[in-house]
Amino acid sequence: MAGPLLSIRDLKVEFATRNGPVTALDGISLDLMPGETLGVVGESGCGKSITALAAMGLIPDPPGRVAGGSILFDGEDITHADAARLRSLRGTEISMIFQEPMTSLNPVFTAGDQIAEAIMLHQKAGRAEAGRMAVELLRTVGIPEPERRARSYPHELSGGMRQRVMIAMAISCRPRVLIADEPTTALDVTVQAQIFDLMRDIQQEFGVAIMLISHDMGAIAEMADQVSVMYAGRVVETGSADAILDDPLHPYTRALIGCIPVLGKAAGLEGRMPPLAEIPGIVPPLHLLGRGCAFADRCLLAFDRCRAERPVLEGRPHRVACFAAEMEAA
Amino acid sequence: MTDGALLDVQGLSVRFAMPRRSPFGERLHLEAVRDVSFSLRPGRTLGLVGESGSGKTTTAMAAIRLKPAHAGAVLFEGIDLLGLDAEEMRQRRRHLQVIFQDPYSSLNPRQRVGAIVREPLDLMVADEPASRRDDRVRELFGLVGLRLDQMALFPHQFSGGQRQRISIARALATRPRLIVCDEPVSALDVAIQAQILNLLRRLQESHGLSYLFISHDLGVVQFICDDIAVMYLGQIVEHADRPALFSRPRHPYTAALLAAAPSLARRKSAGYVREAVVRGDPPSPVNIPHGCAFASRCPHTQPRCREERPLLRADAGGAVACHYPLG
Repeated sequence: MAGPLLSIRDLKVEFATRNGPVTALDGISLDLMPGETLGVVGESGCGKSITALAAMGLIPDPPGRVAGGSILFDGEDITHADAARLRSLRGTEISMIFQEPMTSLNPVFTAGDQIAEAIMLHQKAGRAEAGRMAVELLRTVGIPEPERRARSYPHELSGGMRQRVMIAMAISCRPRVLIADEPTTALDVTVQAQIFDLMRDIQQEFGVAIMLISHDMGAIAEMADQVSVMYAGRVVETGSADAILDDPLHPYTRALIGCIPVLGKAAGLEGRMPPLAEIPGIVPPLHLLGRGCAFADRCLLAFDRCRAERPVLEGRPHRVACFAAEMEAA
Repeated sequence: MTDGALLDVQGLSVRFAMPRRSPFGERLHLEAVRDVSFSLRPGRTLGLVGESGSGKTTTAMAAIRLKPAHAGAVLFEGIDLLGLDAEEMRQRRRHLQVIFQDPYSSLNPRQRVGAIVREPLDLMVADEPASRRDDRVRELFGLVGLRLDQMALFPHQFSGGQRQRISIARALATRPRLIVCDEPVSALDVAIQAQILNLLRRLQESHGLSYLFISHDLGVVQFICDDIAVMYLGQIVEHADRPALFSRPRHPYTAALLAAAPSLARRKSAGYVREAVVRGDPPSPVNIPHGCAFASRCPHTQPRCREERPLLRADAGGAVACHYPLG
């Protein structure tokens, strides 16, 4: 089996704040295999979007900085790459789609021009040729009447179509890695389903590896081969999607799955559904994290060691960072 | 008229005037809600489900007169709210409260949260002595799981989930019978969402509340609602109780919504492929198609669907607006 295409090793990202430096990513490791989808799931503030930005070399500096670790793309450490190398990587090898398609498209250029711009920058194509390629890309992502839509401005397109334009732009240079940061959060479910189907088709056709960042376990179940669960800037559990969803080991993952009002499970049941599981308390502010496990204060299984010492990911291939889970397994 | 209904909405329509194209041009209207009828029995939860632009929030806001209705009647405990004068309506408002979606913009940032929760009492039940109102505020903080020492804080000092608890306390202050919940958990993380949903249900059981619950999340709706009305482009296309709607959807749009919603059971590893995905986006509410509004996206469209608008009619315990309902 080939090695990972994108490998994040012990990555540490700090931000300067009024409360002093805050560690937004505290030594995370992720592996994205070629042609697969890695789901990164967690609540807001857990660091999943910062992970995506770091992988693109887009951490705003200052106030942020990569304080340690490495990001290996096909063996090359991009944390030390210069601006020119990063720019060429971003266009041709790694690309990204964002949550809000309206704010990530330029309102004063047509959809076709924006896609053509990316093609001209990275592929040495002339204006006319790039325009033709843009129309072809719009056809690939399933936009009806692509010749006409290429001349539309973003405000003339619906949310789903804008996201398709973003995807067309992202795949314009045949990247090997596509990072999708909550690509469907702003969309309705029937449109979300269409975008997911499109992403799967693109993966099959071009063999692109996708890092899907989401807060929605359902979306992760449907899309991901591998899953990493993040909490307070750390990866607490990682494994195959089936292992994480059917046999979660970390108390946080278990609780997170228990909180979800699952659709369909009790559909035929008469009477009321049982109460949802709750996680007591809230995610602690990052600058107040202690030395131990970040989840210890909310964890029902926490004991002394959890507050004094930080657990690291153990096990293979299903890895978990939890002392209680370790004892359970032993 | 449905017997024993707390809220009985009949033929409600809401329209918004569009700007004229020319000074002599005809004025066009956006038909946001078209001939919507439903009823809500005491102690139950009716879910209004649909995608953005389907008119679910407008329906609920028009039903409690926070938006003007164009036609129809809204019977609340047998009295038509749309016919009341301003003072009579104001008197009724204590029985009708709202919890909004965004816990950041629905609380006044310059007021202490104790004062926010107290305000409805000061406005609606001013005849009660001040000390009784203070007691009630303290009781409300306990009910929603906030500490009494937090009463003197400002909204920005709370997390999203705590702010939504403050909104709930404010809504409960005047002992209402009906609470309109407008996407109360969609701005919250799942862990916090679970806390708020459990709280809403506990309060419903202890206070005998009725909820008109607006949501786009079918998992949430399945958890909290007893009856569900599915809206599409300003109309109810299907109305049924929870077990029937989720186990045997009759309208193709309901079926499409259920198929599109992500679920933990649908795995990529198991080779899950979605059946019956609807294509495209909903048509514009300014230019509503002649026949069935869903015909342009429906996988089962027949010629009749494009010509004749289906009416909502009773069918196997629920109601469905489709010429060819699913089996």
